[in-house]
Amino acid sequence: MNKRVRIPGLWLCLASVAVAQDARQIVAESQARSRSKSQQYEGTLEVTGASNKISLKRWTYQRLGSYGASKAILRFTAPPEVKGVALLIVNHPDRASDQWMWTPAIERDRRIALQDRSTRFFGTDFSFEDLEERDVNQFDYKLAGEDAIDGAACWKIESKPKESKSSQYTSSLLWIRKDNYVAVQIENYNKEKLIRRLHYADIEKVDGIWTPRSIEVYDPGRQSHTILKLEKLQYNLPLKEDDFTLEALRRG
Amino acid sequence: MILLKLISWPYVRKHLLRWLLTVAGIVLGVAVFVGMHTANQSVLYAFRQTVDRIAGTTQLQISAGETGFDENVLDRVQALPEVRVAVPVIEAVVGTTLQDQGNVLILGVDMTGDRSLRDYDLESGDQAIVDDPLVFLAQPDSLIVTDAFARENGLGIGSQVPMRTMEGEKRFTVRGIMKSGGLASAFGGNLAVMDVYAAQKVFGRGRRFDRIDLAVKEGSSVDEVRRKLATLLGAGFQVEAPSARGQQFESISRIYSLTADITSAFALFIGMFIIYNTFQIAVTQRRAEIGILRALGATRRQIRTIFLGESAVAGLLGSLAGLGLGIAIARAMTGYIGSLLGEVYGIAERATEISTDPKLMLFAVALGLITSVVAAFLPARSAARVDPVQALQKGKYQQLSAGENRARRRAAFVLAVLAFACALLKRYWVLAYAADALAVAAALLLTPTLALLVARMLRPILRWLRPVEGTLAADSLLQAPRRTSGAVAALMLSLALVVALGGLTRASYDSIFTWLRVALNPDLFVTPSESLTERSFRFPESMGLALRAIPGIAEVQGVRDARIEVRGAPIIFVATDVAALVRRANVPPVAGDPNRMYQETAAGRAVLASENFALLRGAKLGDVIDIPSPRGILRLPIAGIVTDYSDQEGSILMDRSLFKRYWNDDTVNVFRVYLAPGASDAEVKRRILEKFSAQRRLFVLTNGEVRKYILRLTDQWFGITYVQIAVAVLVAVLGIVNTLTVSITDRRRELGVLQAVGGLRNQIRRTVWLEALAIGAVGLILGLAFGALQLYFSLKIVAEDIAGLRLAYEYPYQISLALLPVILAVAFISALGPAESVVRGSLVEALEYE
Repeated sequence: MNKRVRIPGLWLCLASVAVAQDARQIVAESQARSRSKSQQYEGTLEVTGASNKISLKRWTYQRLGSYGASKAILRFTAPPEVKGVALLIVNHPDRASDQWMWTPAIERDRRIALQDRSTRFFGTDFSFEDLEERDVNQFDYKLAGEDAIDGAACWKIESKPKESKSSQYTSSLLWIRKDNYVAVQIENYNKEKLIRRLHYADIEKVDGIWTPRSIEVYDPGRQSHTILKLEKLQYNLPLKEDDFTLEALRRG
Repeated sequence: MILLKLISWPYVRKHLLRWLLTVAGIVLGVAVFVGMHTANQSVLYAFRQTVDRIAGTTQLQISAGETGFDENVLDRVQALPEVRVAVPVIEAVVGTTLQDQGNVLILGVDMTGDRSLRDYDLESGDQAIVDDPLVFLAQPDSLIVTDAFARENGLGIGSQVPMRTMEGEKRFTVRGIMKSGGLASAFGGNLAVMDVYAAQKVFGRGRRFDRIDLAVKEGSSVDEVRRKLATLLGAGFQVEAPSARGQQFESISRIYSLTADITSAFALFIGMFIIYNTFQIAVTQRRAEIGILRALGATRRQIRTIFLGESAVAGLLGSLAGLGLGIAIARAMTGYIGSLLGEVYGIAERATEISTDPKLMLFAVALGLITSVVAAFLPARSAARVDPVQALQKGKYQQLSAGENRARRRAAFVLAVLAFACALLKRYWVLAYAADALAVAAALLLTPTLALLVARMLRPILRWLRPVEGTLAADSLLQAPRRTSGAVAALMLSLALVVALGGLTRASYDSIFTWLRVALNPDLFVTPSESLTERSFRFPESMGLALRAIPGIAEVQGVRDARIEVRGAPIIFVATDVAALVRRANVPPVAGDPNRMYQETAAGRAVLASENFALLRGAKLGDVIDIPSPRGILRLPIAGIVTDYSDQEGSILMDRSLFKRYWNDDTVNVFRVYLAPGASDAEVKRRILEKFSAQRRLFVLTNGEVRKYILRLTDQWFGITYVQIAVAVLVAVLGIVNTLTVSITDRRRELGVLQAVGGLRNQIRRTVWLEALAIGAVGLILGLAFGALQLYFSLKIVAEDIAGLRLAYEYPYQISLALLPVILAVAFISALGPAESVVRGSLVEALEYE
């Protein structure tokens, strides 16, 4: 079985009832509880740079399908200079996702190369890799203890990519709440150096799925952080397959 | 050293002017060598710097000549596991209408991954603009400029930069300013970065990239990845380190470098004769001094060392002065050479500063030094052999000036035969140079004999002009041929060079005129660039049909040309509808059946090669040539060889259908437009501009304008030849001045005796003037005659190595006639000073001279 876990804005709801002792089982359960047929929301991105300069972007996000074979389209709606720019992500169960970007001003789509996954996602503190679904089987997990985040008791789990997995990170620390299996914090490391910290907050139950409505990414290297807020979030809407193709991307 | 100080220095101080004139030959030779090479190297260095700075941490670059390739190649490259990062690049040099800015190098990159290779260090502006490709990519008018460019033009974030794009003049917005240094200093700072996909549209590239820059993963071997990529992509692609682009530029500008070498070598060679002449006379004059030294116990070796030491010091000082003058020449020429190479080869580079190469400088100094020492070797040897007893006998030295012998004439004859034999053998290009060198050697060996002959012929004329002075002047030449033979040789070689260059220039112009008349006969040329060699911009094929629909146009032929490497040389490919071309411009073949060759080429079964390609690359009619294309090797026979001046490296003509198929490229560089009978070119030009100028960048050139353009380029190119001619004339003048100064000094006693026995000052003056005119005349006659031969050998060198063009032999009578008054006037003017110094000098001192 090919189990995948979503990270930043896409690492969402986890149920809280199951009890797991094994680190890998905890992560798998966390993923299973966030499963949905589709997802739609309006996101607001607030990027605060080192000089405290704040830039805002808004997008609409639609996802069809669940882990392993999902497709997603993200369309920027603000500010005006980026309006209409869109990103199509096609996830595959056996390989890395394909990503295309549409630029309406020159009416061109372009493929985002795999090699660019470690680069920052359009000026935010997310990287393209952070947007990918993570296959549970491509990582080794180890329970690193217990901890409390925002007052909630969590399992602290260390994950390391297997040799076959190409990643910019050499290890990650995941904090998963014991009560609802929602991942509330992830720290990504390269060797010993912290590259990114993702903090999940405002956790609410939406359409039966526990979902963090706010995700904050901190980049200690650049001393900047990005907050993604999810609004008008809905699950399991009847979305059409045809709206998740390159032609649909070009239609706008 | 002590001997130099005690013996040589007083002599040099006493004859400072002569010494300076002697050194001037070396100064000039070294200056020309350093100046032309430094200017060339500065342009090359600027190009390499631009390549290096733009390359950033790029380890390999993938290209397909100038044609570019489909976008999907990028996916194939990125899929190779050993490739860490591979990014697409488009480069184009575009004009901006900002005042005094000229051209800007636009680097089109994909910001998503490009920062892994290049550091866009921003001076001001929101770092997020570059960090955030979204804004940069969403706004195709986004531009990052360099700090230097921004300062020069008073630009800031949000400023507009007007640029000439394929869609007409467009305004771009400055969204980032790079800090000085590194990438920002490429192309002399006139660099701007934009999105690669926006660049595709702006420059009419379709869905193609110019090249891919890549870096390999840690632990992978760059060579191994290069081999894998070469295998993966096939022979149509070049996978090379960024430095290879500099080598290609060097290869393309080879002819220019060769020209610089020939000029400076000639200047130094002629300078050598001036030095030889001076030292030969100095030895004769200083015989008494040498005799005393020998009588006091100085060895032959010591005597030889004194003269060689003097020549070494002269060579060193001359070389150093030549370095200074050369750098000044380079400063004046660098900008000119940069624009010339850009216009002639279509590779623009903005060279604003000169770069001095220590190795070149050392080589130049060594060259000057060695030339000087070699020139002084024979006189030094002759000084060492002086018999002390004879040397101390006053007046004896004047009897030693004869020296013609039969052995020399025989040697000259043998060398001349060898020269012609080499010229007739066509197998190796080096033989063409050998033939010329042998001919020069033969001419030099014969110079004293011939000079004597001509002087004898001139004697009655001089006597007829002024019975006393004329006879004295002629006799001076006849009695001391060794004194003048060096100067006559220098003058002869200089004038022969002038004649050869003049002949080459004239033949080149005639051939180009013929080619323009036969091949470039369309009424109008529609191009996306003012420069016909600039290939950054291209039209879509569909524009041809739109042009054809304009009233007054009878036929439109699309031409695509690009530089592609064939047989190790970057040559120009010209792809057009060959059947249509031959209907309008039936260029007679140099080789091949005129009907069959065009039929085969039009059918895509063969290609036509330019004459210079065939000669330079050793290709013959029927030879199959391998042409690398993105679809693999295209193997086609040469069906015909034609005269074509499209490029100095050679050109290949093929049918455009073939090009479209193999390069998957239907863009057009230029449309050849033929008008319907009775249509006015001005009116049709107006209609074309009216129809298209609002939509796209285009220039409509009339046939006359294109001819003017090509002739302007030719003029610019031959500008270097004119510099060569000027150098040759200058060296010749130096030779005359030097000889006269030496001659007068040498004859001070003789002229003093003349004055003492009642010779009038005016008679002395006229004697000197007439002798000068006679030396000029002898040099002229021999120079113009040897020039005729030199032209023949130069045509061989041009055909077999430099340009691969068989130019017609046409003796440049006009230049030769123009040289007559120039050289005689120069000879006369050169004589004024020495003549005055004789008549105004102390008679007692003159009589005591020696």
